[in-house]
Amino acid sequence: MIAAKIKNDMRTLGEIMILSKDTFKCMFSRPFYLGRLFEQIIHLGVESLSITIVIGVVTGLVMTLQFGYGLEKFGGTLYVPAIVSLSLMRELAPIFTSLLIAGRIGSGISAEIGAMNVTQQVDAIRALGTNPLRVLVVPRVLAAILSLPLLTTLSAFMGILGGLSIAYLEFNMPAGFYINKVLATIKLTDVFGSMAKCAFFGLVIAILACYRGFQTREGTIGVGEAAKWVVVRTSIVILISDFFLSKILILLFD
Amino acid sequence: MMNILEVNNIHKSFDEKHIHKGVTFYLKQGETIGLLGHSGTGKSVLLRSLIGLEHIDEGEIKFHQKRIDTLTETQLYPIRTKISYAFQSGALFDSINVFENIAYPLFEHTKLSEDEIEGRVKDILKIINMEDAYHLMPSDLSGGMQKRVGLARAMALHPEILLYDEPTAGLDPLNVEMVLEVMARFKEQGLSGIFVTHDIPAAKRICDRLLILKEGRIGFNGTVEEFENSTDPFVQTFMASEE
Repeated sequence: MIAAKIKNDMRTLGEIMILSKDTFKCMFSRPFYLGRLFEQIIHLGVESLSITIVIGVVTGLVMTLQFGYGLEKFGGTLYVPAIVSLSLMRELAPIFTSLLIAGRIGSGISAEIGAMNVTQQVDAIRALGTNPLRVLVVPRVLAAILSLPLLTTLSAFMGILGGLSIAYLEFNMPAGFYINKVLATIKLTDVFGSMAKCAFFGLVIAILACYRGFQTREGTIGVGEAAKWVVVRTSIVILISDFFLSKILILLFD
Repeated sequence: MMNILEVNNIHKSFDEKHIHKGVTFYLKQGETIGLLGHSGTGKSVLLRSLIGLEHIDEGEIKFHQKRIDTLTETQLYPIRTKISYAFQSGALFDSINVFENIAYPLFEHTKLSEDEIEGRVKDILKIINMEDAYHLMPSDLSGGMQKRVGLARAMALHPEILLYDEPTAGLDPLNVEMVLEVMARFKEQGLSGIFVTHDIPAAKRICDRLLILKEGRIGFNGTVEEFENSTDPFVQTFMASEE
């Protein structure tokens, strides 16, 4: 039983690797579907803007509030801008945004491709002499890789702004001081490190979602199962890989 | 007339289930053959195998005397512009309209201008009697209309062979008639075809020859006349059970 489960998981992993390899091959050879890529960037990126902003602002507000009152007891309120901005930029914004996108976009991609699969639309793409990887997977993977880092950076920026408003209103911290502290704390490597992490998370979300979409067989129930599978698996992979990516980034830049 | 497609001794299994145990037949240029058989005998699997949507375990498939069963997925793409497949459900892309569905293979495989593509799509829409459906989405179409648009899309590139997977299944008599009319027009244009169906009267009307799958092999292969006059107990039982 356990051996069969391991064997099955290994086969899934192998298939995901093959899908990733084939997708990369298609990314760098003609034909390119730029129209579909822009469509996906709008769908995955632009349509996620509002929720990303809300997540960023609320995280910044709550973090500043908690750290502000927590550190006030020890006279450490001055450290709030540095702590909030660094934790937002390095960890909270990438993780929260990626998990949110995994839920919103990952499940959407798997349901969409899954529905296309069970209604033979994926077979129709093949039967019409075109490659489903180029038509369906590459635009979604590229859109996720490009959109997620930008959404995360926006989320972190909005979080810092949210933190600024609370620091000013609740702790009477001058805006200039807050901004100076943030600029002195955050380095370009933090921003690029965070973007690199999110590009990887975007790749994971899109590849796993597309893979599961192509595996969907059992009608509408299968489509629902696929969406659930993607949200759970991508969340786990994002959380675990975040630890290792953070470690690598610390070794490289700190 | 020369054989445009040859299928020799095809074997296909799914896990333990042996679907095809040596299927052999041919298709001549301009000919339409009907592929009959009870449910689960592997008619659709056979049709899918012909253009590599399913891989065969053994045997060979030749198109214009060249083997195509050994080709990779990428090598099969140009073949699939010459052997087209009309899906049972239509399998229209539900996020784009009728025009875009029919134009899809033209944008992908031809260098025609947008105006030329529009003209070609309008011509095809005339053939299927759906000139007014140009901007409709697949969800706005009835089952019969979806099948006809599916046929039109399969026909857009002017293929040499069209594979029809139960195009009349689940349709009311009026829509069956419309689909058969479309198929007859395609045949008049010289298109070869393989028509998978349970509808014996429709097959007798459209096809030049009928094949019946029996226990993984071709159990009958003959003209419509031979089919009707057959004294083979298998053919007679089959006719009785399907009618």
